[in-house]
Amino acid sequence: MKRWWRGTFGLVALVALGFALATLAIGVVAFETTHEALEQQLDHRIAAETQALIDEGDDGPTGIAMAIRRREAARSTASLAYRLVDAAGRQVAGRLDARVPTKPGYVELLPYTSDGERRIAQSLSTILPSGHRLLVAADRAVIDEMDRTLLRLFAESFGAMLLLGIAAAWIVGAVTRARLARIDRTALAIIDGDLARRVPVTGSGDEFDGVATTLNRMLDRIGGLVDNLRQVSSDVAHDLRTPLTRLHNRLDEALASDDRAIQLVAIEAAAVEARDLLEVFAALLRIAEVEGMSARAHFTDVALSVLVADLAEVYRPAMEVGGHRLAIVIAPGINIQGDRRLLQRLLSNLLDNAIAHTPTGTKVTVTLERTATSVRLSVADDGPGVSPGAAATLFQRFSRGDISRSTSGHGLGLAMVSAIVLAHGGSVAVQPPPGFAIAVDLAGK
Amino acid sequence: MRILIVEDDADTNRFVARGLTELGHQIVASSDGRDGLFQATEGGFDALVVDRMLPGLDGLSLVRALRATGDTTPVLMLTAIDGIADRVEGLEGGADDYLVKPFAFSELAARVMALGRRPVTSVQPARLTVGDIVVDLDRRTVTRAGCRVALQPREFVLLVELMRNPGRVMTRTMLLERVWDFDFDPKTNIVETHLSRLRSKLNAGFDTDPIETVRGAGYMIRGE
Repeated sequence: MKRWWRGTFGLVALVALGFALATLAIGVVAFETTHEALEQQLDHRIAAETQALIDEGDDGPTGIAMAIRRREAARSTASLAYRLVDAAGRQVAGRLDARVPTKPGYVELLPYTSDGERRIAQSLSTILPSGHRLLVAADRAVIDEMDRTLLRLFAESFGAMLLLGIAAAWIVGAVTRARLARIDRTALAIIDGDLARRVPVTGSGDEFDGVATTLNRMLDRIGGLVDNLRQVSSDVAHDLRTPLTRLHNRLDEALASDDRAIQLVAIEAAAVEARDLLEVFAALLRIAEVEGMSARAHFTDVALSVLVADLAEVYRPAMEVGGHRLAIVIAPGINIQGDRRLLQRLLSNLLDNAIAHTPTGTKVTVTLERTATSVRLSVADDGPGVSPGAAATLFQRFSRGDISRSTSGHGLGLAMVSAIVLAHGGSVAVQPPPGFAIAVDLAGK
Repeated sequence: MRILIVEDDADTNRFVARGLTELGHQIVASSDGRDGLFQATEGGFDALVVDRMLPGLDGLSLVRALRATGDTTPVLMLTAIDGIADRVEGLEGGADDYLVKPFAFSELAARVMALGRRPVTSVQPARLTVGDIVVDLDRRTVTRAGCRVALQPREFVLLVELMRNPGRVMTRTMLLERVWDFDFDPKTNIVETHLSRLRSKLNAGFDTDPIETVRGAGYMIRGE
């Protein structure tokens, strides 16, 4: 297993090991400090005792020897041992069975014998003015005892830390793996085609839930896009089948007939159908292109007020021929960043719709105004409008507001409008009745 | 007219060549960009029809190379891609007109025709005269048989476009592009309504209509 330390178990194990080592280091330092302190304490005791002996003996070896005998007779539990020798090294007093060092000062590890047993003591030897040498020693057993206790304590805590750390690593690793496995299982299920599957959320509000919620939102978004794509493909197939069937029937009709005139009529009708189909495809491709936002690269400064006024005037004669009335309310001097041809097409589609889907005598109002945050272009009419249900799907491909579907058009005009508005970073919405109105909000300059 | 077609799709090539031959043109066809450029530089063509995507050398490079030699033979570029960028790039690259596949043959024929007889000089005449109609481009006035005809700006541009091409069909799409600057076909018949207004103003007091509607193709102003 490569890079095992990158996994959760490895990471937690590393951290646990780090803690254990830190415990060990603290232990070593504490041990050393305690050990040194005990030795110093022992030194102090010996020094104080030496001084007390010298004081009691009035500097005379005889007095000191007596003091030693008194102490040994008292057999204090704080068993210090003494030995006094003369300048020649002959025993004067004290039962301590050890060689008296010739140099004065502390000896940390002084071997001595007590009841036939070899032991180690800490000692201080002093040379008296008379040339006698006084040796005061304390057994080191107390320090060794303390050392052993400390070592055992630290070894135990190190071991406990290590064990706990490994256990924690194992548990955290197992929990993480289990939580990740749920996400993994969901992903695998989705790969296998169960697109409705979502990552379970425990409701604990932890990091895993956070990730799961985000993943689920992403899946919802993708699901929506897939549904949309499926809908569009099925709509395309469905909406093109009818004209393709008509085309096929026309050509069949032409083939079946011997009459040249009937043939010509049928072929001409077939040609019209074919042209319509090509138009639908061109419109679909164009919508896809605009939705791909590749248009943004061609954005320039567009004098929207001028564009809207010009285009409305272009439509005025056609409107008047169709018995519509056109009203124009345009705030002057509005400029936006955009694609002039696409904006032209946007308004053109809205006006085409207003003409095609309203009865004679309808008044169509084109308004361009500044709002607090945007530039609003709206095309409104006082016609019959559409049902609220139809209004919701109006911007989808192949949607037609008319229930009868009898009017001309492929239901792509408003899908195009929607795509253009989105490419410009704006929003488009059907306004509430009376009548019918579509308002486009674009970012102004 | 002598026309060179450079198109690698055999069906389109044959379809265009046959159609233009039937209209009485002389056709030279090529299916490769390099060969096409070689033939084009030999000269003697009144118009070129060049596909944008070609083996050997793409259509855009072909036109650029041709223009670099100082050749001004009009070029109609064909493309399967209806991208805004492609249209602009094509026209900036030196093509004179642009047609998106699939297209109706009548549309292609009308465009080739309009290209072929485009005046060689780029200097615009100050006035156009067709029959008894005179358009003064500087003063933006129109007279028919000496009588002043008052036109709306858009109707004026429409008339000028027709009069620049007397005796040749201008398709609806061509008019939308040149008069209204539309690169799409609106569902509303704005061309028809403007043309009918132009007609009624132009024909007031006369019993002949100089503008002819060519069914299924477009409009044409009758030459002498």
